[in-house]
Amino acid sequence: MPDNVRPAKISSRKRGNRLGFWFFRSCLKLFGLSGAYGLLYLVCLHYLLFDRKAVSSAYAYIKRRFPGCGSGQAIFKVYRLFVSQGQQLIDRFAIISGSDIFDIELKGYERLSAFLGDKSKGFVLLTAHVGSWQVALTTLKKMAKPVYLVMRPEDNAAVRESLNIDAQDDFIRVISPEGYLGGVVEAMNVLRAGGIVSVMGDRKYGFEGIDISFLNHKAYFPFGAFSLAAGSNCPVVVLLSAKLPGRKYLVDVSHVLNPCYGATKDKKGQLRKYVQEFAEVLDKYTAEYPYQCFLFHDVWKN
Amino acid sequence: MAENKAEKLAEIRKKLKELLVTSLSLEDIKPEDIKDDEILFGEGLGLDSLDAVEIVVLLQRNFGLEVKEMSEGKKIFYSVDTLANYIYENRKQ
Repeated sequence: MPDNVRPAKISSRKRGNRLGFWFFRSCLKLFGLSGAYGLLYLVCLHYLLFDRKAVSSAYAYIKRRFPGCGSGQAIFKVYRLFVSQGQQLIDRFAIISGSDIFDIELKGYERLSAFLGDKSKGFVLLTAHVGSWQVALTTLKKMAKPVYLVMRPEDNAAVRESLNIDAQDDFIRVISPEGYLGGVVEAMNVLRAGGIVSVMGDRKYGFEGIDISFLNHKAYFPFGAFSLAAGSNCPVVVLLSAKLPGRKYLVDVSHVLNPCYGATKDKKGQLRKYVQEFAEVLDKYTAEYPYQCFLFHDVWKN
Repeated sequence: MAENKAEKLAEIRKKLKELLVTSLSLEDIKPEDIKDDEILFGEGLGLDSLDAVEIVVLLQRNFGLEVKEMSEGKKIFYSVDTLANYIYENRKQ
């Protein structure tokens, strides 16, 4: 397999591993939602003190989201970010375990519903490391169409568990980006057959990216989702979720982009404006929910 | 019969090369510069995943073909030769 069409293997020590998932699920069972939240403060303090990689990757976001804050304040904000992510992780388990204690508001479903009705072409569901995309995806089960998740095999175990994929295998299917041509052919077939392909739009995972502006700094986002959509003449629906005060979540599918190529030859260059548009959606999201951006990766460094 | 097949394959290869140059906007490359057995992705012609999308589109648009068997993908997309063979074997007459 040529290197430039297969993403480089990324060595990352994932915090969202099986042990972590087991821990949070057990806490939830033993102590309930509030008790599990309480334990989080200790767990996150541990990560803040001993996981330098996690802190520095979160810091990359914090220092751009809050450009004026000093180092001490920034570290405190990193801690808040860790706690916020932990809470969403616990909520996610509560939701997939069948708990109905959360009120989930769905914004923009009417438009999505129109795309679902179009049998001639599918759409790309573009997600990001903000809020809980697993909660968002689980909420969209009512789409009654399988979602093909482009996901690295090394993420399979943890994400499968967090999405309860084995129990919902009719709903979630996986396309490996480490397959031939990065899963492009498979994804195109799904879109052409009227299916849904879900892609992460804010981290390259070894694929080629494009420079755009995110939080007022030059950043690098992947353009694969837009090239798939342009090639298949399909829309891109941005899928975001946010935890609201109280036991509420907002799942937002109201942003739709329609990538297409013009007459100029530079196709990659033409995709930049769509990637930028997506980055601006995320920009607004992080302004509204600053502690729900869980990128944990320096996307500003190429 | 064999002669007919060879002619048809040559015709498909020629068309493919022209389509590759125009669809992928290959700069400074003429269709005749592309060798029949030149590796398309990575080394060789140096195509990437963005080009892969375009090849899938041009196969569908120009030959009415979809590659459904993923396990065969690597063999099919290897070179102009392998693509031409796939088109010859699978396109509707």
